Amino acid sequence: MGGQACVFYGAAQVSKDIDFLVLAEPENFLRLQEALAELQAERIAVPPFDPAALARGHAVHFRCRAPDAEGLRVDVMTRLRAMPEFASLWERRTALVDDAGVEYHLLCIPDLVQAKKTQRSKDWPVIELLVTIHYRENARAATDDHVEFWLREARTPELLVELCQRFPTQAAELTACRPLIRLAIESSLDDLRTALDAEVRAEQARDRDYWEPLRRELEQFRREHRNR
Amino acid sequence: MTYDQLPDEWKEWLSLSPLERFARGERMLVEYIAMGGSLDPDPDPTSPFDIPEEWRPDVAHGRAGLRLLRRGAG
Repeated sequence: MGGQACVFYGAAQVSKDIDFLVLAEPENFLRLQEALAELQAERIAVPPFDPAALARGHAVHFRCRAPDAEGLRVDVMTRLRAMPEFASLWERRTALVDDAGVEYHLLCIPDLVQAKKTQRSKDWPVIELLVTIHYRENARAATDDHVEFWLREARTPELLVELCQRFPTQAAELTACRPLIRLAIESSLDDLRTALDAEVRAEQARDRDYWEPLRRELEQFRREHRNR
Repeated sequence: MTYDQLPDEWKEWLSLSPLERFARGERMLVEYIAMGGSLDPDPDPTSPFDIPEEWRPDVAHGRAGLRLLRRGAG
């Protein structure tokens, strides 16, 4: 769902780890543990592998020791901030299959964009690129959902201005939920850049607020681990 | 940035199919590891997962593939 999905979509060229969003059901956890055992994956850092911790939003981190995957890091989550439940994300996923029959199931681009709205600075240029790629691939046969996604999520001032010129009605309708669209309608590029930066800072603050109790819990896990 | 603003190298990357990109990404990762690159996370003070003492116990100065031979004065 993370960097590897961005490689598939073209918004990254390489990723050093693999992030999995998994269905939080007992049978699926058993399958996951079998897969991790096959990879000889050892848990690193905290928290422990615990469905309850995953349900609170934690990620569990592993490092593989199997010869073909030596050193590879695997992160597992069951819940993402401000995102729908797994079933909805699965329903909207992108699925690919290669010549060997191996299947790859990715968050769809709009969901990946939401998942990338984190406090990490490095995620925001990726979001910008994902929207640019999605627009390029779908611009000729744009649906209402596409247009709304672009207008809500585009992070490039020039692209936002282009979208407002091409889809003026939808742009005007969305100014209530994304006020900076008005600056794009007016082609005020400098003000638009400032507003986009402010939008990022506000979303990063929301992500930090979401993680604050989880960070405190991670500290507690570390203390418990050290005292064992 | 818009598609037109992307460098040519990136436009070439986007001209590949998703599976071609994935395969090339895997090859790049193999080359990176062969050159001594580390699979540890890059230092990122903005990440809630940036805990250097847990993630990178063997890496000096956070650079991939480096070990500290001699610590400088000061």
